[in-house]
Amino acid sequence: MSKHILIVEDEPNIIESLSFLLDRAGFTVSSEKDGAMAMERIRDLTPDLVILDVMLPNRSGFDVLRDIGELAEAPRVLMLTAKGQARDRQTAEEIGVTRFMTKPFANAEILATVQEMLT
Amino acid sequence: MPHSLTGTRIRQHRSRAGLSQTALARQAGISTSYLNLIEHNKRGIAGKILLSIARELGVPASSLTEEADSELTTSLLEAASTETAPSAETSVLAEFAGRFPGWAQLLASVYRQNRDQEAVIAALSDRLVHDPFLAESLHLMLSNITAIRSTAEILTSVEDIAAEQRTRFNAAIHDESKRLSDATQALIRYFDKEATQGAPNEAPDEVAESDVASMPLERFASTALASDFNPSALASEFRTNLHAVFRRLASLKNEGVDAPEMGLIITNAAGQTLHRHALPDFPLPRHGNACPLWPVFQGFSQPERPLQDLIELPGGTQFVTLTVALPRSEIAFGDSPNYQSAMLFLPSDQSPWSPVPQPARRVGISCRICPRENCAARSEETVL
Repeated sequence: MSKHILIVEDEPNIIESLSFLLDRAGFTVSSEKDGAMAMERIRDLTPDLVILDVMLPNRSGFDVLRDIGELAEAPRVLMLTAKGQARDRQTAEEIGVTRFMTKPFANAEILATVQEMLT
Repeated sequence: MPHSLTGTRIRQHRSRAGLSQTALARQAGISTSYLNLIEHNKRGIAGKILLSIARELGVPASSLTEEADSELTTSLLEAASTETAPSAETSVLAEFAGRFPGWAQLLASVYRQNRDQEAVIAALSDRLVHDPFLAESLHLMLSNITAIRSTAEILTSVEDIAAEQRTRFNAAIHDESKRLSDATQALIRYFDKEATQGAPNEAPDEVAESDVASMPLERFASTALASDFNPSALASEFRTNLHAVFRRLASLKNEGVDAPEMGLIITNAAGQTLHRHALPDFPLPRHGNACPLWPVFQGFSQPERPLQDLIELPGGTQFVTLTVALPRSEIAFGDSPNYQSAMLFLPSDQSPWSPVPQPARRVGISCRICPRENCAARSEETVL
């Protein structure tokens, strides 16, 4: 059974390209654009990995990350954001993010990271 | 240091002329050992001997005795007084400038560029951290670039893409390119607007107008000159408060009065800048995050008490500051007073006020561009 990845990202074209890449690599992919809906989707889908943006509509990625940390079986989280400042990375690491990657990224780089996180 | 470089210059000209010390000494009618002492700046030289040596070297005597360029010397001294050069040998500065004029010019030039760029970095750093429009724009542009890059990589590296999917990817690149273009143009318009509108935190017009009305330029300028720019005397004479006098003093130079240029910052207790007039060597952050060691912030701990301080920026420049925190409106029972603190400042070597007895307090501009180490007031890492 293929691993399930949820992309929480508000840019539809980034979702489109990421979904294409991950789908071709053999993963099951779902997506969510609204920060306020992210936790509901995570509870419903129980993904193995969440690719999470920081700046989301209605609820920040950091807040979503805090709620993920309280789940009994939390998925791994790859924080994918345009905010690459040291303080954001520190905040994410303090909350408990598994990996942190800044935009813009290379496709090969994100694929390799996802595969490494799910093995 | 009169003529301290004369010997060095004689040695340079002699070497260029391909003359030995012995030959030049003989032609000038002095002993080789005496010329050797002269060339090492251990003996003074003037009069007939100087003219004779100059004649033999084929140069005007004045070119051997002119002091090194004073601006160059000043810049080198400033560079040597920075924290990054604590062991610079200032005692041989003139000799260094004389023997290696090219390197000295380069060092001075690099120092001046560094100093100017530090001010630019302060402004940019301040803007990057606190400007929501810029932060939002950059985030949007990075997202556009990410989508374009990722999609373009797929189109160029994957061959078996369904036609419908390929069309969607092409449309995505088109859309994201247009959004990126729009975002870039919006950013350019934003900067153009900033450039034409000037600093956002200069005094509001109505404040400037009320200051002008209560302190007319001609009378204020003459009274200021007569009182050696004493703010207390001016406040008393014009029956106004010290903050209004500070604002008027800081505007004098721009109004054509022959007065030292004074900088001014007024903040509220939250650190928000309400009024700013920076000086070339003392940039002021636009949106707060200034050095917490500035006297303007110390003013809040001693409301209504005039404070005179001497501060030193990382570049070594010292400034005299006058600070006072005043309530924004009349104090009333039952209300907490709302204080604003104002700091008037100017370089210490231009200060018309009596000297400050205590040693200079070492401060910075903003933590992000401050090189000072082990500062208890540091709130964030420096980018330097």
